Amino acid sequence: MTTQSLPRTVERSLWANRLRALLTQENIITIIVSLIVGAAVILPLLTLFVSSFKVLDPLGWDTTWGFGNYVTLFTDRIIPKAFVNTLIISTGSTILATGLGVSLAWINARTNCPGRDYLEPYNLIPFFLSPFIGAIAWHNLGEPQTGLLNNLARDVFGIEGALMNIDTIWGVVWVTGIFFAPLVYLFVVGSLRRMDPSLEDSARTTGAGLWRTTMTVTLPLVMPGILSGAIIVFVTSAGEFGVPFKLSAPYGWETLTTQIFSKAVGDDANHFLGATMAMSLGIITVFLIWIQQRYIAPRSFTTVTGKGFRPNVLDLGKWRWLAFGYNLSFIFVAVILPIACLIIVSLHPVWTGKIIPEAMTFNNYVKTLFFWRPDAIQAATNGIVNSLILAFGGSTIAMVMALVVSYMIHRTKGFGVRLLDFLSVVPIGFPGIVLAMGVLVTYIQTPIYATLWILMLAYITRFFPYGQRNISAIMMAISEELDQSSRMAGASWFTTLWRITIPLLKPGIFAGWILLFIIFLRELSISIILFSTGTETLSVGVYYLTNFENEPLTAALSMAQTVVLLIAIYVFRRVAGREALTA
Amino acid sequence: MNSENQGAYLEVENLVKWFGDDPAVDNISFGIPKGAFLTLLGPSGCGKTTTLMSVAGLHSIDSGRIRVGDVVYTSPKEGIFLPPEKRDIGMVFQSYAIWPHMTVTQNVAYPLEIRKVPQSEIDDRVADVLALVGLTDMAEKMATQLSGGQQQRASLARAIVAQPRLLLFDEPLSNLDLKLREQMRVELKRIQNEVGITSIYVTHDQSEALVMSDEIIVMSKGHIEQRGGPLEIYSRPVNEYVSNFIGVANLIKGRVVKVTEPGRGTVKITDHGKDIQVTCNLGPGISEGSDAVLSVRPENVHAERENGNGTSLEGEVLQAIFLGSHVDCRVQWGDFEWKVIAHPRARLKQGEKVYLRLDPEHTLAVQP
Repeated sequence: MTTQSLPRTVERSLWANRLRALLTQENIITIIVSLIVGAAVILPLLTLFVSSFKVLDPLGWDTTWGFGNYVTLFTDRIIPKAFVNTLIISTGSTILATGLGVSLAWINARTNCPGRDYLEPYNLIPFFLSPFIGAIAWHNLGEPQTGLLNNLARDVFGIEGALMNIDTIWGVVWVTGIFFAPLVYLFVVGSLRRMDPSLEDSARTTGAGLWRTTMTVTLPLVMPGILSGAIIVFVTSAGEFGVPFKLSAPYGWETLTTQIFSKAVGDDANHFLGATMAMSLGIITVFLIWIQQRYIAPRSFTTVTGKGFRPNVLDLGKWRWLAFGYNLSFIFVAVILPIACLIIVSLHPVWTGKIIPEAMTFNNYVKTLFFWRPDAIQAATNGIVNSLILAFGGSTIAMVMALVVSYMIHRTKGFGVRLLDFLSVVPIGFPGIVLAMGVLVTYIQTPIYATLWILMLAYITRFFPYGQRNISAIMMAISEELDQSSRMAGASWFTTLWRITIPLLKPGIFAGWILLFIIFLRELSISIILFSTGTETLSVGVYYLTNFENEPLTAALSMAQTVVLLIAIYVFRRVAGREALTA
Repeated sequence: MNSENQGAYLEVENLVKWFGDDPAVDNISFGIPKGAFLTLLGPSGCGKTTTLMSVAGLHSIDSGRIRVGDVVYTSPKEGIFLPPEKRDIGMVFQSYAIWPHMTVTQNVAYPLEIRKVPQSEIDDRVADVLALVGLTDMAEKMATQLSGGQQQRASLARAIVAQPRLLLFDEPLSNLDLKLREQMRVELKRIQNEVGITSIYVTHDQSEALVMSDEIIVMSKGHIEQRGGPLEIYSRPVNEYVSNFIGVANLIKGRVVKVTEPGRGTVKITDHGKDIQVTCNLGPGISEGSDAVLSVRPENVHAERENGNGTSLEGEVLQAIFLGSHVDCRVQWGDFEWKVIAHPRARLKQGEKVYLRLDPEHTLAVQP
């Protein structure tokens, strides 16, 4: 057969054939999803970068190009202080969370602490709840005049003045520290559990005691996990908006996030300066996450000699009750006390710091939750409806994307897969408020601004990697031959996906979906930048109430959110199992 | 039928597939008649699985052409790439790839459902094929409840239920234990005979290949080394590589001194500086003066106490392991260690002097 003598018609059908061979279901979906993911991730970051070089003139009319915004970061009256405050908060909460997380993980994984299997789910609850609501609760517990704990201290123990003042930068460290402790816990507990017990045993046989073995063998072995957890906590605290907004900003301790917020929507709004601050924050966090992903996360596997170990736990003797008490105290302080406080406050018409049983009423719940009544508060009503739409719709769309992206990363070898893999890690490096700033400057002049779509877009872009990780973990464990045998049986790519791949991934898909549902339902730092009247979310509703109404109404809506989250956490535990988050 | 006029039913022409900078399959061609059972045999990395995957359409190829019947599966030059699901192929995978979320019946019925066969017919055909592979009792079990051997049978049932044009096996027995593997070889061959579907079987296990195949293609480094029936491959390997890969052989370097008649001649080998001439058969491509490797199967070396006709090789028994039906011997001859299978009655002992007589009919000179 010779190609030279092919007539023109055959030549044309050659190209038609080639085109047909390229236009497979797989390729078409792959290209579409790559473009969507690429645009969603790159566009806002690029616009953010470009906008940071646009300097607004003093009248606020015109912009010029230059480094003016970056100069302002250093010359401004507040921003340098905000930067220092952010650093203090992140460092402090990292120390606190790491101490709590490592000790709790060790107690649960390596000791015979009583009831440890029952304690674990409660240790993880703060991870799923909203730190913003934790801050509101702790404000009501530790505010000098109206704080419940301060009043109890005065009434019961006769202490003069205030036991504590939570409305300080240290209050922010306290609340973020206890809320992010589960992050460290999750990074450490898996490797502690899978650790080869003979490593510890051999240390014991050399004569090292329990304390010494733990310090010289156990902890160094899980060091990569501890460092990973610590970095994630540092980054998450630096990007946290709700807690400093509630506890420190009103009392003079601004942070980068509260400053970005005021530049985005405040009276002195300057999107370009906001973008510059977001850029600076983003560069720091993305650098830290890069270190974690590149150098620390890969090492965590080398300390583990494989699964299937049933590590023999350490006998703490009578000290195990101390460990038990310590763990119970954490759950009490991080979960029970804040929720109890919110319930109490939410039942009072006004909150003065004193429990008045005869004044208690459900009126606050009526005004915030009964959205069909004319006296319902509009921001709360909008928040409930919008957050449910975003949580159901957003997590569904995000999981579809996560599924296709995971499929491409693990099942196709084609061009662009490495890029896609990279793109699906990038959003993890940027705090929600940074990405939201990018989305704001990108889409402010498009029709999706001031709609729910802009929120949905930002939510999905920021959080779909979490869903993707849930699916990827399972996909890596499933043989590719299961898919291939379906193709060989005559099923198309899409049929295979629908009838074989998706059913096999169902647990991962569902766990990922609920995780995103939880994240979306409590989301604040993206929403606070991108909402407008009518598109408030649940957490924005809480923000509105705490800013413009009173604490009892705030507590009522906070409780409603907390209850829905607790139910979702319960379902997540049931479907995802113990190891789902630790991967 | 038209396709029969074109010769082979399956035809692979000049197949080339690169992985990065290395050619996994480097320009191979072969064809097989309808109903035949062909085995691609070779060590890992020889390109056998790549060839199979190219036929299956589970990856693209760089150049060449694959045709089955009148259907062109792949031909980059013509811009043709038929997706795997349109090729009408049944495939048995190394991991069996039985879907764990379905029952045995659902697994086996799947190819028929995809082909939109009416439900009543599906029921009949699934029952028939499950009976054929001996899984009737397991029909309603979940796939995860099956043992390895049963998963293998289910996988075979799923591959043949739709009576595809072609059946592909990717090392299907390598995950089974030895006893089950030997049993399944026979079983697989019986079932393939019964359904009569043209089959390509990939394995690195030479005894599997010898037992099951109508024809064997021995591959190495992306090339075809030899193609032929099991007996031919075993008794007349074309080169040292094939001779070494199939069964056990004594391989001694030498030089052809004379070609007495086509296919026969004498080869000179060296013993303690003394040249010895051995009369033997000559493989293809062997001519006077060329370097050659003498290939002698251990069962064709006769260890004797006397130098009968004066041409035997004198050696010393290094090791004699009694294995019931035969004795597995090692005989030191110069620097070379002969593998010899002797009769137990010969009662060879370690350290004893023996004479090795080579049977000219079963001594072959092949290309190095």
